[in-house]
Amino acid sequence: MKQLYRYIIMFVALVLGFATTLRAADASVTAAAYWDEGIKAYEMRNYKEAVEAFEGIVALDKASAEVYYNLANAYFKLGQSDETMSRPFASGELGKAILNYYRALKLDPSMADARYNLELAVDHTNDTESIPQSFIATLWQGVRSTMTSNGWCATSLVMLALLLIVVMLYLLSANILLRKIGFFVAIVAAVAFLLSTSLALSSRNALLKDNRAVVVCNDTTPVHASPDSASKIIRQPSQGVTVRISREHSNWTEVVFADGEMGWIRNAHIEAI
Amino acid sequence: MINIGKSVIYMKLLIRLSLIFVMLATAATSWAQVSFTVDAPALTALGQPFRVEFTVDKEPESNSLEAPAFEGFDILAGPSISTGHSIQFINGKQSTSYSCTYTYVLMPTAAGKYTIGAASIKVDGKRYSTKAQPIEVIAEKGNTQQNKGGNNPNPESRIGKDDILLRLKVSDTELYKGESLRASLVLYTRTNIDDIENFSLPAFDGFWSQELSFDNTPSREEYNGRIYETYKLTEVLLSPQQSGDIIIPEASLTARAQVVVQDSRGANPFFGGRQIYHVSRNVKSNPVTIHVSEFPAGAPASFNGAIGNFRLTSKMPEAKIESNSADQIEITISGSGNLKFITAPKVSLPESFELYDTKVVDNIMVNATDTSGNITYTYPFVARSAGEFTIEPIRFTFFNPAKGEYETLATEPYTITVLDDGTASATPNVERYVGYGSTMRQLDRDIRYIHLGTLPAKAASLFVLTPTYWLIVVVMVAIFVVVYVLLSKRIRDNRNIVARRMKRADKVAIQRLRTAERYMNEGNRHAFYEELLRALWGYISDKFNIPVSNLTKERIREELYRRNVSMAIAEEFCEIISRSEEAQYSPSTDGEMSEAYATAVDIMSKIEDAIKR
Repeated sequence: MKQLYRYIIMFVALVLGFATTLRAADASVTAAAYWDEGIKAYEMRNYKEAVEAFEGIVALDKASAEVYYNLANAYFKLGQSDETMSRPFASGELGKAILNYYRALKLDPSMADARYNLELAVDHTNDTESIPQSFIATLWQGVRSTMTSNGWCATSLVMLALLLIVVMLYLLSANILLRKIGFFVAIVAAVAFLLSTSLALSSRNALLKDNRAVVVCNDTTPVHASPDSASKIIRQPSQGVTVRISREHSNWTEVVFADGEMGWIRNAHIEAI
Repeated sequence: MINIGKSVIYMKLLIRLSLIFVMLATAATSWAQVSFTVDAPALTALGQPFRVEFTVDKEPESNSLEAPAFEGFDILAGPSISTGHSIQFINGKQSTSYSCTYTYVLMPTAAGKYTIGAASIKVDGKRYSTKAQPIEVIAEKGNTQQNKGGNNPNPESRIGKDDILLRLKVSDTELYKGESLRASLVLYTRTNIDDIENFSLPAFDGFWSQELSFDNTPSREEYNGRIYETYKLTEVLLSPQQSGDIIIPEASLTARAQVVVQDSRGANPFFGGRQIYHVSRNVKSNPVTIHVSEFPAGAPASFNGAIGNFRLTSKMPEAKIESNSADQIEITISGSGNLKFITAPKVSLPESFELYDTKVVDNIMVNATDTSGNITYTYPFVARSAGEFTIEPIRFTFFNPAKGEYETLATEPYTITVLDDGTASATPNVERYVGYGSTMRQLDRDIRYIHLGTLPAKAASLFVLTPTYWLIVVVMVAIFVVVYVLLSKRIRDNRNIVARRMKRADKVAIQRLRTAERYMNEGNRHAFYEELLRALWGYISDKFNIPVSNLTKERIREELYRRNVSMAIAEEFCEIISRSEEAQYSPSTDGEMSEAYATAVDIMSKIEDAIKR
């Protein structure tokens, strides 16, 4: 009897496992189709379809940095070109574009195209306020953004290996010149190891503890003093403004603006990066 | 000669006479300007007598006045004539003034609108007449006479509740944001007011306000069926800055009225039995609500809050200009409305034109009804590259409250040819950077193109701090430790340079001794001793770090002695060197070579032992 149960369980597990792999394979096929469809639509300047296609990939959870980048581009072009609108970006396309550029950069901070386009898109908002940062912090983030966290992690492991090998050579070598070279290489490798490890950790923290959000509503998003639509409106940020999420309460989110001011905004009006 | 002289004198006399004549004639004409005027109230109450005065400023011919019929009025008295004459000397100049006034006292017989016809009078044989004067007679409510001449001894009660009023009069109560209205604060009184205290203007919150100059002569006005003397206290032009109902709060003042009481007991006969009292009254104006409406929907993009009625004129630059030379576009907006609040119309020039800060010159006058005048905007620019360009129409939109709609004024599209001055780039390249000063400006920007190719795989999840990551780190460190332990002896030796040298010395010596042994077995005598010597010298050289060229037997003895090697061993070492040098070229002896070899190995190991100890 026990034996039978075991067989049944094994069979069920097998079927389930097969099904999941099948579904996963199915999803990646669909995602690839969406990708081609999106690119074709974008080339034909059919930005609405391009947005739908790229959003499809995101919905399938198959989005890479490039998918977010293309999606952002499609949103931007859609907002700029749709002639049925009274003015550009009338229904929050700019906010969506900025959101997706941020998402692309979050996955791949070294993506220069996304950085360039993000800067250009932010120029279209009236959000002149930016978080003031020290020179050191800017430099640190600049260096960090040249690689992904995994890139820095790999670098740090290579540097550790190099450090250990060079130290070993230093200890074993009889030649004075070799020993001298070995010593300096070891110091450099040690510094590089520490630096790349902390960059990898910093990049990881920035990714996991990211509480940024982008206003994706059209231009009249009221920010209230308390989570209550009857309370005072303290600010009306335009789409594309980046805020930090402080806390949430029912369908309201408390956000912090770049200048430090806090207020409550409807959940539907912002989207976390 | 004399005749000629006489004629000159006559001529001069003639000129003088004619001058005098001209002067007299001028004086006569100025004298002849006679003014004959009528003074009568425009408004009067039924049952209240009033005066009509005809005044002439030159002595009239007697009984020449022809008075009008005064239809609708009873003549109570008149005409009574009063004349006045005065002579003034100002800075030695004499001026005379004369006036003769005919006064009639009339009593209206019925309410209505009447006209006092023209009166005429004869002055110096000429007839002058006044203009006809309209006059309105109203039947006042209530018996006001009771207050006026009553015998009420209390002066306070002589001033009725409605005898002093303060009213805020506005020209309009329904208007659009930015339109202007006139508000005047008027004091209405039916008694003599001799002082005004604590006068405070209402707060015109929600308005832009400007005080106006106004005519402050008192007039008469009917209000609530009664006739009041009115005094205008202030007049402002208000322009609402927000929409919705704006309430202008009340203004207040304290008016001091003069009350004359006829004392029934005739207390003070010297002053005619009258007493004058002052009665203070606090009066407040009515709060006024102004309904300000927002502009209707559908405003064009060029609308910027201008309201009124405007005209747009423009002065474009020459049709042909040189590149890199400065020129300007002038836009003038004139008309009436909220000129003070309008902003410069947006001018979009071709990309290669550099637009500088707009200059604004305004000439705005605030008058009783609104603000009017003109504003000139000057847009200076420099065309950087040659070619033919079109200046897009410059649009200015305003809201016309009279029509209730938006009106857009626009300039004609203007084509301008920029001639090359030799320095500008001749190629009309759109994607070109235009440099000016130290700044580089890109002509146009757009987002970069999308990523193509196949769908990139979703990025791997974070690797740092995962178990695999730690495993790799631990394995690397473990390998390092294992290698370290395995090679620890060698590492320790490497730490000591002398020990390393010595080891090397042994190794080289052993190598050479082996070679020597081979030569010995082959019976190559010369080569054997050569190799043996090399082993011995080289051993000392390496061991004590002394170049072979610097080595002598004495030096070897010294060095060995310094390292506590016994004298016997040192001697033995030197001896084997000497013997080998000799044997190298001497005839062979059996067993000699093997003996030398054994001695050399022996002595080397002895030295080794001695040094290591």
